[in-house]
Amino acid sequence: MRMGFFFHIGRYFSMLSKVFARPEKAKMYVRQLFLEIDNLGVNSVWIVIIISIFIGGIMTIQFAHALANPLYPNELVGLGTRDTLLLEFSSTMLALIMAGKIGSNITSEIGTMRVTEQIDSLEIMGVNSASYLIFPKIVAVVFIFPFLYIMSVFFGLLGGMLTGPLVGVVTIPQYIDGIQWLFYPYYITFSIIKCLVFGFLVSSVPAYFGYYVQGGALEVGKASTKAVVNTNILILFFDLLLTRLLLT
Amino acid sequence: MIEVKNISKAFDGNQVLKDISITFERGKTNLIIGRSGSGKTVLLKSILGLFDIDEGEIWYNDRNLVQMSNKERKLLRSEIGMVFQGGALFDSVNVEGNVRFPLDMFTNMSGPEKIKRVQFCLDHVNIDRQAYKLYPSEISGGMQKRVAIARAIALNPKYLFCDEPNSGLDPETSTVIDQLIQALTKEFQMTTIINTHDMNSVIEIGESVLFISKGEKEWVGTNREILDSGNQKLDDFIFANKLYAQMKKGK
Repeated sequence: MRMGFFFHIGRYFSMLSKVFARPEKAKMYVRQLFLEIDNLGVNSVWIVIIISIFIGGIMTIQFAHALANPLYPNELVGLGTRDTLLLEFSSTMLALIMAGKIGSNITSEIGTMRVTEQIDSLEIMGVNSASYLIFPKIVAVVFIFPFLYIMSVFFGLLGGMLTGPLVGVVTIPQYIDGIQWLFYPYYITFSIIKCLVFGFLVSSVPAYFGYYVQGGALEVGKASTKAVVNTNILILFFDLLLTRLLLT
Repeated sequence: MIEVKNISKAFDGNQVLKDISITFERGKTNLIIGRSGSGKTVLLKSILGLFDIDEGEIWYNDRNLVQMSNKERKLLRSEIGMVFQGGALFDSVNVEGNVRFPLDMFTNMSGPEKIKRVQFCLDHVNIDRQAYKLYPSEISGGMQKRVAIARAIALNPKYLFCDEPNSGLDPETSTVIDQLIQALTKEFQMTTIINTHDMNSVIEIGESVLFISKGEKEWVGTNREILDSGNQKLDDFIFANKLYAQMKKGK
């Protein structure tokens, strides 16, 4: 059966209305929330640190290469790295990476529960399965994303500070001066707003694809791929929208 | 007791259930049998309220499922236990946690009371205490079914539904599961409905057997009557196995 774009939109919002319904027993949801913060958030810390250090280092070298002009002060390398991390990499790129890691995890977990009748089992017990399974994931990811963002900015800058002097394109004092130049605190506010929106997308869209999967293991795999692709497109769309609304 | 009155159900114009009426009695193992695609699962899910029926009534004692509000349906579901074909145990929780889940979700029992109830249910299905901390992936198929039964009876249900509880099990384990379901049905005086196409189950515990074919009720009787039903479609279903056919002819 061919299902249109509007069908998915309608069903997505219908699912969200179930997700945000009143919980059967708040205590159970709180317990689930802590498990999800650990599973989806804390388990992502290492990958965020590693990626951020490398990207920070790479950006520093690239900025040094692009600004290799005696008229430009070397401090611009630190400034460029900082602003790229603050405005785009640590929020948007991180969200795209997390869509792959967290998103596919959510789709495959919920999808497997669907095809093995675990969701039916919850429904028959009288549990609102959409709310019990998805609500703690959304809250956990939305809660953890700003922390991952801040961590990513810190380790990205650290990566730049280690790499720049190591390859001889900038000194540590120049880099530190650079990352303090023309600093606008609003950039952080703007990026945290983006993080909250991206966190919601990274958790709710893959949950939708997992919750309505039909078939077996093959379909769960296909749903995971679809979830990641669609989440990435939505992240980029909302990035554009939010940048237009909040930054220009 | 569950009473089904003249229910019909169609999907996209395809009539899957046609005017089925049957009474499932309390304290008995009521079996629904039929070929694959005959409408057994749709009937079971309709009785459970997972599918909305097009016509007819479904009575749980004196409560009509069709006219129930969402709140009333939720209340009814707390009186229902269900054993799924694959067990449907929660992968991320161990054996003890699976049986404890409905108690955590729907009761205000204290911790020790819950532990006592979990032990009571698992003892009833002969699960050793050493297995309490194991995860579903670490136990056999037969054990998974027994844990699923323990979870289904945790809230002391009035109604027990089993969807092909023996699928994927060897004949000996199947018999153990059948006998277990029957014993629990008698002990807790539940109304039990089992969806199966396993003839061994029919012979073993078929106190009341409903045979459906192409969505229609074909025959109702007991395991003692089934071999001499005189119904051609039922005979074709039962004696599809050559050995049974030869036994019927007395060879």
